[in-house]
Amino acid sequence: MVAEIKLPPVLEIIRGNIVKHGNPLAMKGTEVAAWANELKLPESGDLLFYTGGEYQLLPFIDSLVNTMTHLDQGSKVFSLMMGARNIINKTGINAEKLYASVLAKDRDRFNSISYKAAIILQKLGYDFCYAGKKELYSGALLSELGFCEDMKSYAVKVAEVLKQSQAKTIVCLSPHAAEVFKFVYPKLIQDFPFEIRTFVELVWERRHRLPAIKSAETVVIHDSCRLARELEIDEQLRDILQSVGVPFLEAKCNRKWTTCCGGPNKLLFPDISHTVASRRVEELEETGADLILTSCPYCLSALQNGQLKEDKTKIEDLIEFLYRGFEA
Amino acid sequence: MADLQKEFNDYTKNLNKASKDENIKKAITRAVKSYRETTAETLNRFPHTPAMADEVREIKTQAIANNSELLKQAMESVERNKGKAFYAKDKQEALEMTAKIIGTGKTIVKGKSMLGEELSLREYLEEKGNEVWETDLGEFILQLNHEKPMHILSPSIHVPREQVAELFTKFFKREVPPDIAQEVAVVRDFLREKYFTADVGISGANVVAADTGAMVIIENEGNVRLSTGAPPVHIVLVGIEKIVPTFQDAMKVAEVTWRYAQYGVPGYVNIISGPSKTGDIEKVTTYGAHGPKEFYVIFVDNGRSDMAKEEEFSEALNCLRCGGCMYECPVFQVTAGHFGHVYMSGIGAVWTAFVAGGLEKAAPLVFTCLRCGRCVERCPMKINVPAMVGNLRERVVCG
Repeated sequence: MVAEIKLPPVLEIIRGNIVKHGNPLAMKGTEVAAWANELKLPESGDLLFYTGGEYQLLPFIDSLVNTMTHLDQGSKVFSLMMGARNIINKTGINAEKLYASVLAKDRDRFNSISYKAAIILQKLGYDFCYAGKKELYSGALLSELGFCEDMKSYAVKVAEVLKQSQAKTIVCLSPHAAEVFKFVYPKLIQDFPFEIRTFVELVWERRHRLPAIKSAETVVIHDSCRLARELEIDEQLRDILQSVGVPFLEAKCNRKWTTCCGGPNKLLFPDISHTVASRRVEELEETGADLILTSCPYCLSALQNGQLKEDKTKIEDLIEFLYRGFEA
Repeated sequence: MADLQKEFNDYTKNLNKASKDENIKKAITRAVKSYRETTAETLNRFPHTPAMADEVREIKTQAIANNSELLKQAMESVERNKGKAFYAKDKQEALEMTAKIIGTGKTIVKGKSMLGEELSLREYLEEKGNEVWETDLGEFILQLNHEKPMHILSPSIHVPREQVAELFTKFFKREVPPDIAQEVAVVRDFLREKYFTADVGISGANVVAADTGAMVIIENEGNVRLSTGAPPVHIVLVGIEKIVPTFQDAMKVAEVTWRYAQYGVPGYVNIISGPSKTGDIEKVTTYGAHGPKEFYVIFVDNGRSDMAKEEEFSEALNCLRCGGCMYECPVFQVTAGHFGHVYMSGIGAVWTAFVAGGLEKAAPLVFTCLRCGRCVERCPMKINVPAMVGNLRERVVCG
């Protein structure tokens, strides 16, 4: 069943960047870790705070997708399958171009999510370390897209950095990172002795210490597929909201039956991804809520892009929402 | 290589176009709502179903593991019942066997069958100089419209009544109004004549009992009853993965299938084990009393035994083809069968890779899947499609 199939260049770019630069967009470690500068977090400790750069990189991924999509209006990405590298060189997609098209306010917002998550955990009494500019992206996309050979060698590099922290537990902000560490790494790395937790779980355990949140908005929860189905975390989100005194609505499809945000095939089928996202936004808006809360960077970005211009609904990450309690 | 590129392009264009098609959107939205409501209601009415589904999963898993034994037994049972049993290792063999039985210049009435789609059976028999009629209303509409099914159970899910009326008016050469009852009635009249003049009836089967050689076919329209009962010859084409050990097993598989396929309680369950016969005159067994005189079963492999050998994929053979997963798939909901190649959606990507076009045809599907996993929540067999799709991606990327 071996077929000669050339992959679309957008996959090649992502793959190459992860392997060579430790994140899908070839950003510098110092940039990805800039959010933590003032926190002066230690590099080692029992609990490792892991961002994987995922929130920070979100606006740049969207920019990449837009660039790729507009390269060929007719047939979108697949027409570029042949000679991927040449085409990339010719059309000159480069980091500078991508960065220039990202709005400062988006960059600041997504950068601040990691910061807010760290503050929340600190306020809840967690002590943790952070690998800073050495932190590498988990490689979830390599695994997701089928780059098994690249993933094998890349995982070794990631595991080395994780081990330098001497941590016993890793807390992941993104369910995608948690999933790949929990289910894929143990198969690839002989010695992968970490307990993998998500931000949501850590908050849930100390939810009674969270300050109450006075929200004028009506909240609805969007369960992320990975969190609800693979990691089986759904009730915890509800418990947390209850703890901070925020009533919430439920979409028809919730918890294990949640509807995907469309994010996963954004790189190859941006149009379909967008339609799927819009439909999920509709499902969530049908509840009458005006604030959609999610707990996954890709859901956050996909749902936002799926909103129509006239949509008044706000979409926030749970991290941003909980941080409001500490700002008040 | 150039062709492959074109294929990817065409696929993507087609998918994007489908996602903007108002008919698809309207039809699927309605279908999903109705599917969820009916299924919830009937699962409530028959609360034993999920436990029975677990039991069926075990029956099917064992049956796939013992497939070659069961195949032998099923073929013997069919022969004992005075039918003729064949094994076709691939598409070409299956088509040639069927054509050999039928010959040329015949009229054929055919029930809905995904295997038929996999084999392009109708097209092949037409090329051999036969007249073939799809008797399932949805398939009949698609036949007239020269289209491929958009869902495995509701093939013409995307065609609204107005379009049907237009199509029928043209075909029947008389005004057919966009009224569903009248549309159904004209096809009923037309096909009724075909059933009783046809030389051959062709059907698939939802499940086969090895011990008795019983073919179980679930339906609502009654077209399978007529297609398999009226003509003098009945040919069953069925995938080898449909065989289970006993008649009792087959009944369980059938019940779980129809419940998740939104039938609730199906209008008809056909059980056919051999040719029609009578001993009423002097106890002399004579074949072809009222039903077919000849009964043929062609068990089709076409990649299924390869799939069974692979640990990561064998579970896909448990698929009952209830179609429930498709209603849950966020991509299918906006594109219908355009997210497919013969077989549709995530599970369809797996089937395409093994039995209906290979990895090249499956590649675009494999990357279209969101791997979101909601299909698994719905699937009575709990087939882990996201894991299989992940595996296929690795094969596409790493060879």
